[in-house]
Amino acid sequence: MIELVFAQLQRRDRSGGDCVADNGICPDWIADNFDRYLDPFWQHVYLTLVSVAIGFAIAFALALLAHRRRWLAPPITQVTGILYTLPSVAVFFLLLPLTGRGNTTAIIALVAYSLLILFRNFMAGFDNVPDESKDAGRGMGLSYRQLLWQVELPLALPEIMAGLRIAVTTTVGLTALVFLAGAGGLGEALFADINFRSNVLVAGGLAVLLAVVLDLLILALQWALTPWMRARA
Amino acid sequence: MTTANSAQTEGPSASLQAASLEFRQATKRYDGADRPAVNELSLEVPAGEICVLVGPSGCGKTTAMRMVNRMIDITSGDILVGGESVRDRDEADLRRHVGYVIQQIGLFPHRTIAENIATVPKLLGWDKRRTAARVDELLDLIGLPAEMGGRYPAQLSGGQRQRVGVARALAADPPVMLMDEPFGAIDPINRERLQNEFLRLQAELRKTIVFVTHDIDEAIKMGDRIAVMQEGGHLAQYAPPAELLMHPANPFVEDFVGADRALKRLALQRVRDVDLWTAPLVHAGDPAPEARAKLAAAEVPYALLVDDGDRPLGWLSERALAGEQVSAELSSDPEPVVELDDILRDALSDLLAHEVQYGPVVDHQGRVVGVLSIELLSHAIAEEPEGG
Repeated sequence: MIELVFAQLQRRDRSGGDCVADNGICPDWIADNFDRYLDPFWQHVYLTLVSVAIGFAIAFALALLAHRRRWLAPPITQVTGILYTLPSVAVFFLLLPLTGRGNTTAIIALVAYSLLILFRNFMAGFDNVPDESKDAGRGMGLSYRQLLWQVELPLALPEIMAGLRIAVTTTVGLTALVFLAGAGGLGEALFADINFRSNVLVAGGLAVLLAVVLDLLILALQWALTPWMRARA
Repeated sequence: MTTANSAQTEGPSASLQAASLEFRQATKRYDGADRPAVNELSLEVPAGEICVLVGPSGCGKTTAMRMVNRMIDITSGDILVGGESVRDRDEADLRRHVGYVIQQIGLFPHRTIAENIATVPKLLGWDKRRTAARVDELLDLIGLPAEMGGRYPAQLSGGQRQRVGVARALAADPPVMLMDEPFGAIDPINRERLQNEFLRLQAELRKTIVFVTHDIDEAIKMGDRIAVMQEGGHLAQYAPPAELLMHPANPFVEDFVGADRALKRLALQRVRDVDLWTAPLVHAGDPAPEARAKLAAAEVPYALLVDDGDRPLGWLSERALAGEQVSAELSSDPEPVVELDDILRDALSDLLAHEVQYGPVVDHQGRVVGVLSIELLSHAIAEEPEGG
């Protein structure tokens, strides 16, 4: 079946000088052909952001549930853990009959992978909220909801953001494989001409760049959201 | 409904009326525990007084305190705040009207000092201006400069954080305050300072306070009344400090207040509380016969030489009075000089440190007003205290 998938990838026609014929790194070719990569790049961005956003929302809901009912934390960790260990390629093919080729299948798989990381970091964040702050908050008459939104979640932000950074970075990587489910992305461009170094450099480089930029954006967001972490005597 | 004036922030002098507090056979029993954590605790705290719950760990003192604002629910019995059962109050509403200070302080690390202090006013829906004015007032009250309001807890010292914890509990001017070992995590020197500061504050604010500590010395210092609790959540004795030290109700209390309870009683009194001996004051150049007559009438065997401002210069030798006129022949310097406001225990310690029987007592101007002696101190230990 896998050969079938790869067979669908069109070998790109390429024209150029000796450099291109030698599969080398050709600045001229890259400059001329760069716009070819824009669509796969934005598809890659789209899949990554949508998947992480959905994963974040589900993990948040699960974390709130497990925060209220502590006994739920171990089973949720186990289930998300199993999802995390399934080989991604297997998930794609398992889902194909149900959701078909395309974005839906890709996003379901990517979300499934992000859950464990996000959920565990939510829980770690909650665990790191100082007990005395919670006790003082309750003692001053904050309701469960007020304590959660005004004290626990802000104080859990560093761990939550750390989880988000890992989730985003790994999702950018995994999205490079979703072309196997027919969802395109930079992976498709990469594997379309895996022997051509110029192609590998541009497609791979864009994926790495995306991961770094998203990581830095979250870091900046965390910096802006946690002014107290910078305040030291 | 309200006058424009009532929206303005009000000073501590305009505090809400303190409420009385009453435990009525209040009991806490945890499932599966073979004996209750707090066992039929009954005691009354008059409005505006500090009641200290003291006892060894596991005696239920913190549990008893936490039942007041329903952080722990009562199994049976009742607690009345201002005559109203806490069981009938909405939990959150009750807590917003009961100040709460804990040993670990529990400031919100992600909020500035001003935001921390404003926690309860915000919950009560005060407008911004009133809240801000109250925060400024409280920062002033605890002696922190106003610009500290913009800092985060991590930028403050331990003592400053503790003060902010107290200010935060006072923010909405609650009639009742709960304090769980509030100075327990502070080093001894700063603890003493914070205790004194708090007592000065309380003299002004007159809150009804339940104060938990395991330290009997702190209990004696802070409490108008002390409830000694013993294991199993039993109240062993409830009495003012002097009475507790004078008449321990049972061997447990006697043991808990310590073998030095007589000395501890000295910590409750000041030099001005004692009927001092008259000092035979003489000046250099006074007629000697007159000085000898003064000395004969005094309880002290030595005359005290003073200067023109009646400030003590030293004890005179016998030879100084032998001639026609008093000569400045000293047998010893006047140390230790004791002040009227000194605590008796400190005065005793001074006398012992100088290996003397007597010390001149001076007022604020440094004028000698009498003599304190070891003999007077031993009487003070044995006597019934006058009043609280």
